[in-house]
Amino acid sequence: MTTLLDVQDLTVRFALPRPRMFAPRPHLEAVRAVSFTLEKGRALGIVGESGSGKTTAAMAAIRLTQSTSGKVLFEGDDLLGLSDEDMRARRRDVQLIFQDPYSSLNPRARVGDIVREPLDLLDIGTPADRMDRVRELFALVGLREDQLSLFPHQFSGGQRQRISIARALTTNPKLLVCDEPVSALDVAIQAQILNLLAKLKRDLGLSYLFISHDLGVVRHVCDDVAVMYLGKIVEQAPVEQLFDAPQHPYTQALLSAAPSLKRRKSQGYTRPLNISGDPPSPINPPLGCAFAQRCPKAAALCIEKRPQLENGVACHFPG
Amino acid sequence: MSPLLEINDLAVTFATRHGEVTALDSVSLHVNEGETLGIVGESGCGKSITALSVMGLIPQPPGRIKAGSIKLAGEEFVGAPQARLRQMRGGEAAMIFQEPMTSLNPVFTVGAQIAEAIMLHQNTTRDQAMKDAVALLDRVGIPEPDKRARDYPHQLSGGMRQRVMIAMAVSCRPKLLIADEPTTALDVTVQAQIFDLLNEIQRDFGAAILLITHDMGAIAEMADRVSVMYAGRVIETATADAVLDTPQHPYARGLIDCIPALGKADGGLKEIPGVVPPLHLLGDGCAFAARCAHADARCLREKPALLDHGHHPAACHGVEEARL
Repeated sequence: MTTLLDVQDLTVRFALPRPRMFAPRPHLEAVRAVSFTLEKGRALGIVGESGSGKTTAAMAAIRLTQSTSGKVLFEGDDLLGLSDEDMRARRRDVQLIFQDPYSSLNPRARVGDIVREPLDLLDIGTPADRMDRVRELFALVGLREDQLSLFPHQFSGGQRQRISIARALTTNPKLLVCDEPVSALDVAIQAQILNLLAKLKRDLGLSYLFISHDLGVVRHVCDDVAVMYLGKIVEQAPVEQLFDAPQHPYTQALLSAAPSLKRRKSQGYTRPLNISGDPPSPINPPLGCAFAQRCPKAAALCIEKRPQLENGVACHFPG
Repeated sequence: MSPLLEINDLAVTFATRHGEVTALDSVSLHVNEGETLGIVGESGCGKSITALSVMGLIPQPPGRIKAGSIKLAGEEFVGAPQARLRQMRGGEAAMIFQEPMTSLNPVFTVGAQIAEAIMLHQNTTRDQAMKDAVALLDRVGIPEPDKRARDYPHQLSGGMRQRVMIAMAVSCRPKLLIADEPTTALDVTVQAQIFDLLNEIQRDFGAAILLITHDMGAIAEMADRVSVMYAGRVIETATADAVLDTPQHPYARGLIDCIPALGKADGGLKEIPGVVPPLHLLGDGCAFAARCAHADARCLREKPALLDHGHHPAACHGVEEARL
């Protein structure tokens, strides 16, 4: 198995406005020394609540957000060290699908042109080849050829997400970053898109960096999972292992919070593990474990000392 | 026991550029006192229009309640005067919306907004209303309620804002609480907190809840009974257990099967192909026929009625003919 993406100690820091004149500028560490690897042909899920830094980490890994430090090896090349021109050439290997199919498609462009645009920008093939490629992609994602000259508003949410997927595939990428690709869709449509993504991964040998807050979705699409909390990975494991035997209390809480058909009101269910409150502010992250104040297992040690990621879990009392 | 909310043969139409379209087509449902009824379906199935009709919030025009009745505690609200509707909204019935950021006023503190609702419906002073507002914030689990009451909506997280909405909704002890996808904009852990809070509120205040969602998982956790809607019609209705364990209509079955489960992932997800048809293209037959694997000639010709075919009411020719 070859490693496609190897992210080492990636840190992203945002400068905040000064609270008053001449005061030192406060910083927000959105991603703190995150490391993960993605093997070719596999899907790595990054899971966490909003504000956990999952999107920032993925965007920094493909150089769409400026990172402060760290290394990103894509097929052995350090993406962060590439010149702008070399990076632009590399972009054809890395493509993106966004969460909101309503705002990520140009409302004034015909969808055929939207899907063709990456080929135009990267100057791939002759214009006739490009149109052939667009037709081929439309068939691949389950759209009809006679829809090529329609506008985005004439499509439903699920179809728009298919257009986004077709656009992302035009350049034959190796890595597809999916940022919550189904969370804006109805459950019934989600299944269509998830099946499409699974099929494309199988048929085209794609690798996914899959960002989601929905564990059911991740379970279905991903091979490996990294759980993020307040800018750090707190647990990392193959998908079966993470779902069968979650080690970190936060992962356990996420699993017990996800709605399930088996938890019935009629049977008077109670959630086995419930966490209250919101994550702490990333501007002044706590000294110890970031999850300590919401954690049912927290002890004095957790507040004093930050746990390191060991054997796939960052917790003083795993299990 | 007579139902608290009773909707009978409700038909709502909208004037559009495609002519008059039927958004709700003879919808009948009821909510008993203290229970939770879930309405489930995809976007465009008429779930929210049903809720807005109950609250008297259908914009007229372009909307029009063509037929049917909506009775809340025995009182007819279709065609009721505006003054009575204003009194009912926030009084006997209250609604929690999907997006807590856009449904709160950004230029007033959350305490003031809750107090305003209290003063509109109860004969009380501003000071007393503010005190009540703080007590309500405490009740819905907001830490340091007296401080948070002076915060503006943008200073609160999404989950806290939804708690504020719930506090406002229960401020006048409504008999009916309508929750329109109350957790779609929230994270799973916060969603779990809000569900637990709604269940708790129901126990303490004895309110009936009308929960609108597209997620059968939410139905399992929250609802006593379910009505499944498709293209403006109720197509299946029963207790939550009956619908989840033995769904009759192929659409209800599809909604259950398409959930990516936390348990073992075995092969592909079952999907419902296609999308909800636009309302102006609804023909004579079953609206689901084009997406249904079991559709035959009769399904394309004739609209099935919501009838009990041995198990619980479902609107499907296939169920009626026992060929599914």
